Amino acid sequence: MNAKKKFTSTWLLWPALFMLVAFFLIPTLDILRASVYDPEFTTKHFAKLLGSNVYLDVLWRTIRLSVIVALICAVIAYPISYFIVQRPRKQQIFFLFLVFIPLWMSVLIRSYAWMVVLGREGMINALLIGLGFTDEPVKMLFTTGAVYVAMVQILLPIQIVTCYSAMTEIDLDLMRAARILGAKPWQAIRRVFLPLSLDGTVTGAIIVFMLSMGFFITPALVGGRKDIMMANLIEFQVQQLNWGFAAAISIVLLIGTVLCVIIIKRLSKILIRRLVGGGHA
Amino acid sequence: MTKLLKQFAKVAVATLVVAGSANLALAADKEITFSGSGGVVGKVSKEVWWGPYTEATGTKINHVAAEAKRMPQLEAMVKSGNVLWDAMEVSASDYPLGVKKGLFEAIDYSLVDPDNQLPADTREEFGVAYAAYSQVLIVRTDKLPDGKKMESWADFWDVENFPGPRALRGRAEDNLEFALLADGVPAEDIYKVLSTEEGLDRAFAKLDEIKPHITTWWTSGAQSVQLLSDGEVYFCPSYNGRITTLVSSGIPAEIVWNGGAMHKSYIAIPKGTEHLKEATEYVKFRTTSADRMREYVTHLPYPGWAPGLFDGMDPKMAANMPTFPANQKVQFSASAEFWAENLDAIQERWTEWLLQ
Amino acid sequence: MIERDVEFGASVTFDGVSKTYGAVKALSDFNLSIQRGEFVTLLGPSGSGKTTALNVLAGFVDATEGDVRVNKNSILGLPPERRNIGMVFQNYSLFPHMNVFENVAFPLRLRKVAQDEVKRRVGESLAMVQLNDFGDRMPNQLSGGQRQRVAFARAIVFEPSVLLMDEPLGALDLKLREAMQLEIKRYHKQLGCTILFVTHDQGEALALSDRIAVMGEGRIVQIDTPDRIYDEPNSKYVADFIGTTNIVDFERGPSSIIRFPALNAEFELQENDKSWGQGQNSISLRPEKLHRDISPSDHVIIFDASVEEYLFLGNIIQYSVRTTTGKTLLFQEHRGPSVPILARGESLKLAFSINDARPLDEGTHGSGHT
Ligand SMILES: Nc1ncnc2c1ncn2[C@@H]1O[C@H](COP(=O)(O)OP(=O)(O)OP(=O)(O)O)[C@@H](O)[C@H]1O
Ligand SMILES: [Mg+2]
Repeated sequence: MNAKKKFTSTWLLWPALFMLVAFFLIPTLDILRASVYDPEFTTKHFAKLLGSNVYLDVLWRTIRLSVIVALICAVIAYPISYFIVQRPRKQQIFFLFLVFIPLWMSVLIRSYAWMVVLGREGMINALLIGLGFTDEPVKMLFTTGAVYVAMVQILLPIQIVTCYSAMTEIDLDLMRAARILGAKPWQAIRRVFLPLSLDGTVTGAIIVFMLSMGFFITPALVGGRKDIMMANLIEFQVQQLNWGFAAAISIVLLIGTVLCVIIIKRLSKILIRRLVGGGHA
Repeated sequence: MTKLLKQFAKVAVATLVVAGSANLALAADKEITFSGSGGVVGKVSKEVWWGPYTEATGTKINHVAAEAKRMPQLEAMVKSGNVLWDAMEVSASDYPLGVKKGLFEAIDYSLVDPDNQLPADTREEFGVAYAAYSQVLIVRTDKLPDGKKMESWADFWDVENFPGPRALRGRAEDNLEFALLADGVPAEDIYKVLSTEEGLDRAFAKLDEIKPHITTWWTSGAQSVQLLSDGEVYFCPSYNGRITTLVSSGIPAEIVWNGGAMHKSYIAIPKGTEHLKEATEYVKFRTTSADRMREYVTHLPYPGWAPGLFDGMDPKMAANMPTFPANQKVQFSASAEFWAENLDAIQERWTEWLLQ
Repeated sequence: MIERDVEFGASVTFDGVSKTYGAVKALSDFNLSIQRGEFVTLLGPSGSGKTTALNVLAGFVDATEGDVRVNKNSILGLPPERRNIGMVFQNYSLFPHMNVFENVAFPLRLRKVAQDEVKRRVGESLAMVQLNDFGDRMPNQLSGGQRQRVAFARAIVFEPSVLLMDEPLGALDLKLREAMQLEIKRYHKQLGCTILFVTHDQGEALALSDRIAVMGEGRIVQIDTPDRIYDEPNSKYVADFIGTTNIVDFERGPSSIIRFPALNAEFELQENDKSWGQGQNSISLRPEKLHRDISPSDHVIIFDASVEEYLFLGNIIQYSVRTTTGKTLLFQEHRGPSVPILARGESLKLAFSINDARPLDEGTHGSGHT
């Protein structure tokens, strides 16, 4: 009886397992294979990659940009999610709908939209010049700042949704409990709500971080000369049909991403512990 | 058992009938298989080239949309002796590769161009240049200083006399050539210079000068048009065909043909085709039919060198064609061989340079 | 075990408090005075406004009208954290990310109590709820009853002036519930604090409270000691809500005759009997107030009935009987050697004293005499 039960439950997992293997594991292994067999076993791609400053430099820039984007998203999304969670149910759906609207537009279109907003003859400059704040247009487009703005705008909904769904898990009575036990509103947030929602926020930030690591259209369109991403290099190599080298860059990007995710998780655990145990005063 | 046999016989007969009729059809209309671009180019070509070709010769064209890995595919076909393509488009960078590996039939110019009317530099031994596009400097004429005209890459580099935001394409190809032209290297010496270490340094040094004045480094043709039309930049190289988009949306823009980089595409015949005669016929048709080509360029900005192409073409349109003699004369021919050999190394240096 | 010599109770007054949510009147003209150290229970059906009353006192909900005073001072202007009120929530609301010690220490930390003082007081509180050794456990490692105790320890550790409990035992099973009732009673005695308790379990209310306030539709229908609420419900609503009872309709005949059509019986009111007032047309008759062996007198009403069904309730046996007019009544008596069990279908004469019958007001809008 017991054995039979066990059998059925593992059996139910097979399709999911199959999909994971078919759609994630096998392609990843294939990329790994392509990076070291060309067609004989070779380490030349990795040797070339590690032998030049360019690729590691770009990897570092990619990580830095992605971390900052994830941080900004987390900081902006947090109060927005908190606000939505506090609304009555019906309003929550409405606000989530608002958050979702931009997701229906392609990244390309949204990036071009930012060009229209931030450009020399764009909306903001027209406003600044019209109001007499400046005579010369301010350079906003084609800067790293523009990349942050556009990427945050593009990825924010994902962070909000993850953060929001984590927050809905929190019993709001806990906040009342904290208040009646003597916590001011901000203390209740800091000592109860924040630690409980941090896990979800970190998960969201990690998703945003990972998506950022693979971005290339937006930085290419609105960024400056130095806003080159790993994905741009991969794209270039793919265009040149240098599959092996493209695969090697992808593997380095993958390893970098995984390492960063592990570090972010560790740091967030420490942070949560600080928030809970900390402030004995 | 007999029943089964009967069934079998029926199937056999049916198969024979079908196969026979297919053979008959093949015998009646000849057909060649052409491997060329898909998408818009394929669609327009079907209308402008293949239909009329079949009408004129009775030979049908079976189009196979080209994939990225065409050369390995061709190599495999030629080696196995099972050549499925009769004619094909070949990019300028693939052409030397195919020649080296002996994948193409030699072109019989006594059939393709008996009167020797095609320009010499389009008549390669194993392929004929049939179309061209150029990367040329496009200038917003309304943003030029009064009474001045931008006429060369040297002018593009001259930020004193021609102030204003500029853009370049975010890749090394063409840009190094532009830099050398701006630095005074004659067009015919560009690749000789670039092939040396000092020459390469010289190009990058020249690029150093303009780097701080480049607003952005575009990655797609559409983006370059956007930059110019938004006034984000005033001077920016782009593909010649893009001027139409700008002008038709009322943006005062002009091409500077001088110093433009002309990229040619070839048509070639895979070695060992069974329809050499028909394929050669199609190559002739595709490269020398002026009226077809005139029609084609109204759809797509990739003209060739068909004799008499510009007779009776709207002069305004002719002036926007990279192969218009006056335009071609002042451009240089981009070297696919050079870039096929050096792109990897140079692009790496290029990226490093961008990040500095 | 610690006995506190400081009583931390305070008096509480709700003065004409109303709270409306759109068209819903959660509280309407709610009046309640609680003495220092008193244990008062709000008892009422779902939606009668019990939680709303607590929330107004705690500061989670603003009253639409009226005032709330603690020790004669209005507290309506104060945020919850400055009201010094302890609260035990129905679902405990322990902080899942803190261990038991930190949960209980939470209010002390906010009050910036020194670390060794925190240790001492948390230790005392946990000792009181017999969880001294559980300080390191996380809430999800505790049983329901243990969580309940931690919630209680946390609510009292900072010596609040009033302790609010909103159905604190609602999630526990019957046995645990009864055990916890005894504990709560003990804590109350030890601490001497003022407690406002909410339940919709009448047994719990009767067992724990100094006074019970029966609520209906946002107001108090009757407030009194448990025995008086039980014996003298002032309305059909209260009588129905507390314990089991028989409701028997009556009508007024000529002069001062009171007739019970269902029982086919009547009696004459004494001149001085004012309790059968106008606007009343039914009585509450507790099942244990019906008797078999009673001698006729002026105060006794006797009627005929037959046994339909009976139910053993341990030392008590409960019959459901049918009168000659077909009305079903409940009747209880203690079992004993001299009390033979009646068989189904057996006829009998039942009697009650009119002093045990309680005339009832209609509906929930009782006079609410305090
Ligand atoms: N936030 C609110 N918005 C609208 N109506 C509310 C709100 N809170 C309570 N009510 C309404 O007020 C009335 C009293 O609610 P309350 O929660 O005080 O009842 P309760 O006596 O505690 O009931 P229960 O025994 O079910 O807990 C109910 O009709 C309820 O629907
Ligand atoms: Mg309630």
